Amino acid sequence: MSDAAIRVEDVSYSYGDIEAVKGISFEVAAGEILGFLGPNGAGKSTTIKILTGQLAPKSGKAQVLGADVTADDPAIQAQIGVCFEEKNLYDSMSAQENLRFFASLFGLKDIDTAGLLARVGLADRAKDRVSKYSKGMRQRLMMARTLVNTPRVLFLDEPTDGLDPVSSQAIRELIRQEADRGAAVLLTTHDMFEADDLSDRVAFLNEGKLYALDTPENLKLAHGRRSVKVRIREDGEITERSISLTESGAGDELKEAVGAAGLMTIHTEEASLENIFIEMTGRGLAG
Amino acid sequence: MSLSRILLVLRKDLQLGPRSPIFLWVLLLPVLITLMLQVTFGNLFDPNPRLGVVDQGASDVTTAIQDLEGLELTLLSDVADLKDKVESNDLDAGLVLQPGFDGAVRSGANPSLEFYVGGQSLASNRIILAVTAVDLVRDVAGTAPPVEVEVVTLGEEGLPISVRLVPFIVMYALLVAAVFLPSFSLADERENRTLSALTVTPVTLAEVVTAKGILGFLLAGAMAVVTLWLNSALTAQPLALIVVLIVAAALLVEIGLIYGTASKDIAGVFALIKGTGFILLAPTAFYIFTGWPQWIAKLFPTYWVINPVYEVTINDSGLSTVWGELAIAAGVIVLLAFVVMVLTRRLRSKLAAT
Repeated sequence: MSDAAIRVEDVSYSYGDIEAVKGISFEVAAGEILGFLGPNGAGKSTTIKILTGQLAPKSGKAQVLGADVTADDPAIQAQIGVCFEEKNLYDSMSAQENLRFFASLFGLKDIDTAGLLARVGLADRAKDRVSKYSKGMRQRLMMARTLVNTPRVLFLDEPTDGLDPVSSQAIRELIRQEADRGAAVLLTTHDMFEADDLSDRVAFLNEGKLYALDTPENLKLAHGRRSVKVRIREDGEITERSISLTESGAGDELKEAVGAAGLMTIHTEEASLENIFIEMTGRGLAG
Repeated sequence: MSLSRILLVLRKDLQLGPRSPIFLWVLLLPVLITLMLQVTFGNLFDPNPRLGVVDQGASDVTTAIQDLEGLELTLLSDVADLKDKVESNDLDAGLVLQPGFDGAVRSGANPSLEFYVGGQSLASNRIILAVTAVDLVRDVAGTAPPVEVEVVTLGEEGLPISVRLVPFIVMYALLVAAVFLPSFSLADERENRTLSALTVTPVTLAEVVTAKGILGFLLAGAMAVVTLWLNSALTAQPLALIVVLIVAAALLVEIGLIYGTASKDIAGVFALIKGTGFILLAPTAFYIFTGWPQWIAKLFPTYWVINPVYEVTINDSGLSTVWGELAIAAGVIVLLAFVVMVLTRRLRSKLAAT
């Protein structure tokens, strides 16, 4: 991928004696969403801090839009958007004032704050102080702030963590729109459904090491069972059986099940990302 | 470093200022302390005696009154108007000097001097004005006083306590604006993690720290001038005053930035101020207690900015008197600037690590 918006080559970082990131490499192209999946302490936030110039890698090379992240180049900073895990807004300012101030730091004078706030469902609360906002509203405003400079690269650190389903869905929709616009998105999460739903590719990170990097579909195909489970009601009794898709005669067996009068459900038996993660790392995502 | 980005952060801080209790504290506290101390020890609410004069003959008495300090003079052309103002207590007393008054006095003709006293005026002001008027007439007559006056000073020689408190009040105004404001503002941004949000924009941490410094510097200068004005200590040498205030504000702002960059939160700044605040204010005590060995004051870094302020504002000294002290203060400023730079770099690493 020669036109990668984010390029990481063998990057490591340690806090004192603790190795937080151990020689990871990956790329993110324009318009792509890369889901960084891993439990707390896996090294996800550290990777984002390296890529946003907050931390300098101890070794390896990290580039954003072709520029070395250690160069601390304002021109590159002007083209990235960062959504932090913590809600770091100016509480005594209104949503509108927050957006205008951050836009001004990017050299933007006339930004459409109303339009931006409308995208995150806060148009009618534009003039309210952030201190009056709920957690979900703050997170949505954080996303709006991230987009204030129409960034080419987005770093989203747990953007839906702890939010209600409606707020989470709104933010996911926004992330999709940004990727469709052409922004490269690095999304960290420990929510496998979110990663599966949003990501073009996912990376499994655990204890600073990259265990896998592929599309969710490929990972599931590679690690799951190629079979379907059917449940059929016959003579008042429910029977459940698994049909392996790799064996001969699977097509006929499946056709017979679909044609059965008492067919209740059919489910594929592909593995979930969480199952694959546990299988590969020996550790769950929630911790 | 970009000046425009520094100004954007500064503008934001000024915009947020009125919503911050610390900002309001900076603006109000020096004024309140001034009023409190001046009411207790000074004469802030004691008005000068007010004298009205109708001079119908260009008398030397009027000229002499105009040269007097501590007396409020109003020149009028109409005697009826003068009487009205005295009667309505707009003036404490009124004096009418008739045409040829000076000549008559000098020739020993004993002319009449009309002197009106307001019924509601303070007794002290009446006495001051009456004695002053008689004394000035005697000067015009050119006669020696009929008594030998022996002046005996009672009490300790020196400036009144209200004047000796001025360095303390000015220092406090400077301290609150220049030290507290940048340090609390930085710590507040760090505590609320907005500092991290700023550093992933084109703004650098050094620019944010500089903006906080300018904020403290501007308010410190303004509050020092306001405090001096309230204490009637604005000097006749504005250039010298500007220079000493710039040096004082710069040094104290750097101390504020050191506190702000070294503390992880507001509680940390409070702890630093509680632990070291007395060192910053200590030299002012030597102006209040003049019997203390004055050389001890020079051991404190803030002495080198307080004394120039004192010399220029209270003793009306010029820059030629205080240049040596200002040079030492400039050296301290350079040293502290280096410390601020180191701490700013360290803060950047700490921000990323949390």
